[in-house]
Amino acid sequence: MEPRTLRQIRGAKELVEETVDAATLAINEVQRTMTRMPYALLARIGPIAAPVQAIEQAHLKIADSVYFSIRVGNRLVGNMAGFVLDQLDAHAQRKGRS
Amino acid sequence: MVSEKKNSISQPAWGATAASILNGCFGDYLNNRDNGLAIDMAFYQNNRPLELSVDALRAACPTPTDRLCVLVHGLCCHEGVWDFPGDPVRSYGRALQHDLGYTPFALRYNTGLPIPYNGQVLDTLLEQLLAAYPGPVDELILIGHSMGGLVLRAACHYGAGRAAPWVGKVSRAFYLGTPHEGAGLERMAHLVTTILHAVPHPVTAMVGNIANQRSQGIKDMRHGTLLEGVDFTGSVPWLPSARHYLIAGTVTDDPEHLASKLFGDGLVQPPQAGEHVKLFPGVGHMRLAHDEAVYEQIKQWCVSA
Repeated sequence: MEPRTLRQIRGAKELVEETVDAATLAINEVQRTMTRMPYALLARIGPIAAPVQAIEQAHLKIADSVYFSIRVGNRLVGNMAGFVLDQLDAHAQRKGRS
Repeated sequence: MVSEKKNSISQPAWGATAASILNGCFGDYLNNRDNGLAIDMAFYQNNRPLELSVDALRAACPTPTDRLCVLVHGLCCHEGVWDFPGDPVRSYGRALQHDLGYTPFALRYNTGLPIPYNGQVLDTLLEQLLAAYPGPVDELILIGHSMGGLVLRAACHYGAGRAAPWVGKVSRAFYLGTPHEGAGLERMAHLVTTILHAVPHPVTAMVGNIANQRSQGIKDMRHGTLLEGVDFTGSVPWLPSARHYLIAGTVTDDPEHLASKLFGDGLVQPPQAGEHVKLFPGVGHMRLAHDEAVYEQIKQWCVSA
């Protein structure tokens, strides 16, 4: 494979990784904001305010952990793809020298 | 003979097309991140960048003529936009070479970068091209499609400002569907993102943020920005030593039709009628870069005194 093609594939890999990461962060932030809206209304009712806040925290933690898992998985897949590209790069360089 | 010729010309593949679209949409981001997909401005031949050295140019142009033609594509495109559909061997550059002896050089560049920046780089590149060209150059004509026309105007401005030798060689410049007064579509996109941000809701704000990620090159099309920090295109004079020709199209065969009045060639409104302005009714924005009638007009202007 040509170095130019490899560089482009690596660029595409980085772009996908960065897009997934940025999209996950953005959607997580939007979901947090929207999740808080109904809980904020319910928390105004004195007798249930404390349990509502506890449920809200649990809800947000679960949602955050899901998004965090997606980001970690994305990073792992990106690292693996990067490793494969490094091997291809090294192979192309060895081939170029011989 | 034709099939031999076809085999010797390599067209940009789908990967190059995808990279050009990505560069048009997010080219400044790719450039800032030093991403491998970011395109470096260069003249391309057979889908490969042309090295601007005497030896490389001699190999690329075995029979150099004293007239050069530089073609600059538009947003999200590459040099393949000049190829005629169904006959990729034919393009304005190759036809001008065959008919009038102009040696063509087709540019490929990152259309997502600011137009003034691309103009400055093109100014330098044209100087290098003329310095390395294996023969004397008497005349240079410039053909720009859409954003390419703005990049050419910016390059002429920066070149003229430092009295670059190539500027004096420019005899004619052709602008095909170039939004000298700004592009309506980008003005609309700007309005939509402003409204999305004004709505107090996290989802619309997120959609607005995503839409705002479009490249600076696209944003520069709103006013047809040629100079850094100056939105008014009229502040950049046309290169006085060259003749300038404007070619435009419309979406319908009748230029007076409401659709043509509203949408122009689909993306750009036609300029006001004038001596060096030619309107091609029924020719859409992209077709302006590869149309027989448009080519005949360019050729006719090239041979006119």
